Amino acid sequence: MSKSDHTSDVKFIAALAALLREHDLSEVEVRRSFGEDDTLDVRVARGTLAAPQMQPAPAPVHHAAAAPAPAAASAVAEAPEDPAQHPGAVTSPMVGTAYLQPEPGAPAFVSVGDKVSEGQTVLIIEAMKTMNQIPAPRAGTVKRILIEDGSPVEFGAPLLILE
Amino acid sequence: MTGPAGSGAGDGAGDGAGIRRVVLARTDSTNAEALRRLAAGEAAPFWVLADRQTAGRGRRGRPWVSPAGNFYGSVALRPGGDAGQAALRSFTAALALAETLDGLGLDPARLALKWPNDVLLDGRKLAGILLEGTSQRGALALVVGIGVNLASAPPPGAVEPGAVPPVALAEAGLRLTPDAFLDALAPRFAALEAEFAARGFEPIRAAWLARAARLGQQITARLPGRQITGRFETVDETGAVVLDTPAGRQHLPAADIHF
Repeated sequence: MSKSDHTSDVKFIAALAALLREHDLSEVEVRRSFGEDDTLDVRVARGTLAAPQMQPAPAPVHHAAAAPAPAAASAVAEAPEDPAQHPGAVTSPMVGTAYLQPEPGAPAFVSVGDKVSEGQTVLIIEAMKTMNQIPAPRAGTVKRILIEDGSPVEFGAPLLILE
Repeated sequence: MTGPAGSGAGDGAGDGAGIRRVVLARTDSTNAEALRRLAAGEAAPFWVLADRQTAGRGRRGRPWVSPAGNFYGSVALRPGGDAGQAALRSFTAALALAETLDGLGLDPARLALKWPNDVLLDGRKLAGILLEGTSQRGALALVVGIGVNLASAPPPGAVEPGAVPPVALAEAGLRLTPDAFLDALAPRFAALEAEFAARGFEPIRAAWLARAARLGQQITARLPGRQITGRFETVDETGAVVLDTPAGRQHLPAADIHF
């Protein structure tokens, strides 16, 4: 686990600022604690702007409205550094779009707290009309889901944390 | 044996005539069947051909209506390389389809490819391709599912508003059975696959671009929750569609393209 130093703090703040712009948010509050059970609490809010799209929300199927959305133990999309280096991180094998459900309207492949078996599909990454089923690399419990349904992901981006 | 005559960029190294074929009267989806067979350890490559599909599927859960008489086939591969490389088979497959149709006597000028892999006949959708990949025992497994309206196409009202209207090959005066179509397609696909293995994506990309629909024109890319309109500049070396927009050049690896 990487120690926070000044540089990584600055990067983290810059990434949060980028998220604010990208998702039209007016506030984001993050509390992280490292240690035995490594937690991340996030609260996001968007002033009076409507159009709820691609807003980080606590659960993949839940779309927050314009009101402040308290989110427990969820995650910031593309949070820098730490999740990627987490030993339980499942990362993207390709650049593309991430989907948490097999198809729109269907239940999510997995939710936070679910136990998964090795090889079980946990999400899909699409590029060039190729739907790549991402299997759990091992059995475990889904601790965090780090991306939104439909969000773009880079190669190597952390998708979820499995412990 | 060689592949059918055509604009063939291939060198004949991969003769597909010898590739194993599984022919079924019906299945849920040829992609699903091919993935199950790969998971069970069957040797790749092989084709799965079905007369009918009971749960034919398109992108993001869209149904692919699958009456008898049309082509429903999937080729199963265990491609080397990474998942990004595997996805480039979208272009190989679309090009193989177009070259197959050339070889069957269709005027190449009537055919165009819509990013990344729809085949258009006179501007209408003749064929759709959906690839599905996964990692099995640490190795990539990939199926390339191809649906071609040989005998019939869904009525125009059956497709989503704004989507390209469908067309059947029979409307162009060409009548083929699914088996006969695979006889022509399998060697063409194998030849392009061999070329991809030998020379990489570049020749495939160039041949695809030469047949691209709306290249240099305004197109709209729909993504989850947003859409981007711009001039269709090219397809980059990763396969992403490149749009020149007022906000700059955008490389999109996944999108629904609308004209």
